[in-house]
Amino acid sequence: MSADPSAGLAAVLAETYGSPVRVTGLEFLSAGARRRNVAFTAEIEGQGSRPLVATIVPPAVEIMTVDAEAAVRELARAHGVPVPALVAVCADAARIGEPFLVSERIDGETVPRRVLRLIDATGNAETVARQWGAAMGALHAIDPASAPEALPAAGPDPAADALAEAEKGVRTLLSDRPVFAMALRWLERRLPAPPPRTALLHTDLRNGNIIVAPDGLAAVLDWEGAQRNGDPMRDVAWPALRMWRFRNDDKEFGGFADRDTFVRGYEEAGGVFDVDRFRWWKVMGTLSWGVGLAGQAAAHLDGTVRDIVMAASGRRVSEIEWDLLMQIRPSSISPGTKA
Amino acid sequence: MQNRPTAAELLESLAELLEDTLLPALPPGLQHRARVGANLARILGREVQLGPEAARREADLLAAVPEGDEEALWQALTEVVRADLAIAKPGYDSWEGE
Repeated sequence: MSADPSAGLAAVLAETYGSPVRVTGLEFLSAGARRRNVAFTAEIEGQGSRPLVATIVPPAVEIMTVDAEAAVRELARAHGVPVPALVAVCADAARIGEPFLVSERIDGETVPRRVLRLIDATGNAETVARQWGAAMGALHAIDPASAPEALPAAGPDPAADALAEAEKGVRTLLSDRPVFAMALRWLERRLPAPPPRTALLHTDLRNGNIIVAPDGLAAVLDWEGAQRNGDPMRDVAWPALRMWRFRNDDKEFGGFADRDTFVRGYEEAGGVFDVDRFRWWKVMGTLSWGVGLAGQAAAHLDGTVRDIVMAASGRRVSEIEWDLLMQIRPSSISPGTKA
Repeated sequence: MQNRPTAAELLESLAELLEDTLLPALPPGLQHRARVGANLARILGREVQLGPEAARREADLLAAVPEGDEEALWQALTEVVRADLAIAKPGYDSWEGE
């Protein structure tokens, strides 16, 4: 990306609005090697000014084209999922150096700890929890056949595919860890049949990818992982993992919502909750995260990404082992019993 | 026999260097890594003190599990991971829910 994308953004937006545009107040919201979000104001000649956000997608980290991402966002938005309205999509890397999307800017918090503080201060945990469940319910109620074909699709048996992938990961990276072996046995014994109804999934609809405002859930962000024909319980299970609770461990969803409230919102919006399938995907998601952490440590050790943060990930695998054990606890052993 | 400070004492000093002395002087983009480094030094400090006993206990616990008894294995692994967490992330095992 060019150091200052202002001129390129202004030129693209001038085409969008059909009038000259000045870009002011540019502010980088997130830095790093991944996608970058840049807040700015577009001053449009004769049309006033608009607060906007550009999401810039370096080709090296692009897992979905900006056109496909735009299409899935517009589809979700048309079905009542709160998504910031798109203003412009530019797949042409020549304009500012990298492809980008421009959306209207939504006020509110996205950083998880700040989200939790806001919810705590306004006392609207129940409202946000239901709206969050409802956003996912509305997404899953969309006819999966209407999803853009450019999106990656799950295979006919998503759970079996995930299990095969997890087994491979454990064999490669964690073959000497008995907790992972036990969790795999648990998953094998309970492998669910292919879902009776597949859905368009977000795949990362956790605390951290939502905008929360004082009056409730304002938007769902980060659609680059969207998938067609997935198992909807995979999507519901993911935000329930302990790592997205930010120390508020007794609130299963995002550290502020309990399962009943989230599911009530989900079902009111047309979702169908299946607790066994949910638990299966939650164990699967936890195990996959553990494989990912071990993979980061391996990348450090073999020199691919020599970074102290990647090294530290290896020692975080114990947390995942604990989370797995708590989820696969034999039914005869009740919580709180001294093991 | 090495002179004092002991390994654990030196690792704590290293953590203090990273977190209290260097971190405030670092540009924002490097602060997280310094924090992670300090945390790793503290993990190693605990490993020096608790590691040998934890390793012995792990071997004993796992050896005592009857072949094919998944429930006993779960109990033993829970104790093993508790000991690992006492080094890697003290307090993480206080939450025993899902």
